[in-house]
Amino acid sequence: MSTERVLFAFVIVLALTLNVGFIAGDINDINHHNVYELFAALVVSLIATVMKFGDRSPLGSSMLATSLVADLQLIAAATAWGFYASGGAALTAHQGATVVSLSIGAAVANVVSVVLLIIEMANLRR
Amino acid sequence: MITPGNRTRHGIFILLRRLRQPLVVLIGVYAVAVLGFTLIPGQAPDGQPWRMGFLHAFYFVSFLGTTIGLGEIPYPFTDPQRLWATASIYGTVVAWLYGIGALFGILQDPLFRRILHENGVERAVRRIREPFYLICGYDDTGSRVARELSEDGARMVVIDIMPQRVDTVEVDDLTFSVPALKGDASDPMSLVLAGLRSPHCAGVLALTGDDQVNTKIALTAHLLNPEVPVLSTARDHASHARMAAAGADHIINPYDQFAERVATSIRTPSLQVIYNALTLQHGTAMHARPDLPHGRWLLCGTGLFTRTLRRQLERLDIETVIVDPHLADEDIDAHNFHGDPTDPSVLREAGIEDANAIVAGTEIDVDNLAIALAARPLNKTLVIVARQTQQRNTQVFKASPAQLVMLNGHVAAAEVLRVIRAPQLATFLRKARDEDEAWAEQLLLRMRATFGDSVVESWSLDIMPAQARAVCTALKRGETVELQQLMVRPNGSQYLVRAIPLLLQRGKERILLPHLHTPLQEGDHLLCCGQERARATMRHNILGVGVPKGPEGKSLWVAPALPQKMLIERDPEDSEMGPLTQSG
Repeated sequence: MSTERVLFAFVIVLALTLNVGFIAGDINDINHHNVYELFAALVVSLIATVMKFGDRSPLGSSMLATSLVADLQLIAAATAWGFYASGGAALTAHQGATVVSLSIGAAVANVVSVVLLIIEMANLRR
Repeated sequence: MITPGNRTRHGIFILLRRLRQPLVVLIGVYAVAVLGFTLIPGQAPDGQPWRMGFLHAFYFVSFLGTTIGLGEIPYPFTDPQRLWATASIYGTVVAWLYGIGALFGILQDPLFRRILHENGVERAVRRIREPFYLICGYDDTGSRVARELSEDGARMVVIDIMPQRVDTVEVDDLTFSVPALKGDASDPMSLVLAGLRSPHCAGVLALTGDDQVNTKIALTAHLLNPEVPVLSTARDHASHARMAAAGADHIINPYDQFAERVATSIRTPSLQVIYNALTLQHGTAMHARPDLPHGRWLLCGTGLFTRTLRRQLERLDIETVIVDPHLADEDIDAHNFHGDPTDPSVLREAGIEDANAIVAGTEIDVDNLAIALAARPLNKTLVIVARQTQQRNTQVFKASPAQLVMLNGHVAAAEVLRVIRAPQLATFLRKARDEDEAWAEQLLLRMRATFGDSVVESWSLDIMPAQARAVCTALKRGETVELQQLMVRPNGSQYLVRAIPLLLQRGKERILLPHLHTPLQEGDHLLCCGQERARATMRHNILGVGVPKGPEGKSLWVAPALPQKMLIERDPEDSEMGPLTQSG
């Protein structure tokens, strides 16, 4: 067990869990979705991307790619929220759904990331 | 292993991996600062409690880290907010400094710089779209070859293991930009990187001072790109066979070259002048004949240099005496004298008073200079030949009493250039060496009469359909094309250009100085020398629309009588270049 591997897996799984935590709930009701959770998901996702930098394992480049996809989707979601909420206005159902659906896309990318991580781990064992 | 293909990726990997930690720190600090601003309660101007949104918080922190703030927005901060802003300033500034410091650290990293350097060279080599020479080794020989090839308009790539020498490539005033790789030429990867496998690589010049490295270069080039000719220098005769087996197409031994040219100078001095005129860059036929004596030669030192020279001199029945402090006792006899040649008393004992020439041929420049200085007062008529090993001592050697200075690098460079510029010259000179002085003198006089003191160029003409369309068409029609028809001036004056055909190669047959009425055949190779304008005219004549008619009748163009003063032999100005033009 190496600390580096643990930290690596921790960040990637945390990115997924935060993301899923954010999207859980009614897509039409923005009150089911916490802005701090989105922020945390974005930050952890960025850190996960940086940690995949320079990973030369065969799956490293695919993991970096999925991570970049997740970043892109989450940044889009956060920007959308910031734009919709300008002037202190509350989000409409449509706007809320846009933010959440963008994050759902990011969650899919994060799931792929975790699957790749598991495949890599399994290969290591063999 | 780093292969040329994944080098770029490798560089980026290093950059990204080293930047991982600073970037994580930066993201973390920003996240904490932004989060803090959204959580800490503020106050709107109307006294209502107010909380910063993520947009405002991110905006504020973004300019906080880089500019230490533009003001408190959108409302003046409360005390807790100011406290947090202070902490954020320190946090973000430190994180930025750390990140930028790490970035500069990586850019200075030797490995990273090396990868960047190699990538740059690889890109530059790939951009060369015309034939280029790959020069391995950039010391005296390499730099001289590079300079002259560059003046000829050839492209090249340089590779050398010493960074200082590679740096001089940029300082040396070469016509084209020359990609220069700091690398070990005995490493195949470096050679491939420098373009060994490129379809434009026209030749590999192995000019490192090390026979083993040169052999390895020849071997690598032969295996990785069998098409490309390899030219290699060698010092030791023992390595010639190994180098040839490794695939070197031309092997150049500076000691052999020098010894042969000393022998030529003694036997047929006129041929030596012709040789210099043909091979030196600004050589003319007007140089003075070298005047090296028969008689008794003292050779100082027992290196490869003196041994090679002795072999050539003995072939001319010249008496040689070797003077060296390291001779074994059993070797000492009338022709091998034990003693330190820098000592005048030793030289006197060795018989310098009866000698006609002395060769200061040790491996140390200072010793050679000392021998030259010690020898001069003992025998005023003595011809002094000195061997110079380092280019930087040129000034001192010029000022020394030595009449003839042999600088390894220059002899090798002249030979390399000769092989590249006019491969047929070697055949000509080999055949010419069998002729006697009377023949050589006649040719020299003819050269002087034909092109006087203009710079002599030599060039080859191949009577092949691709290069000599006009001639080949005429030959196919059954017409007879005489050699002199190629030499007619384009202005219709019926005069011939100022050139002399030196050699005609027809199959296995080699005709020295072919007669101007010689009928040409397809497949002939012709070597000519003369003025540069003559070369252009002859190239034009063989390619042009029709072969010009030769001068009427049998009257050949006769050189107009030259003013008498032009025939007076002139002293060469540039003794440094010509290893066998005499100075002093």
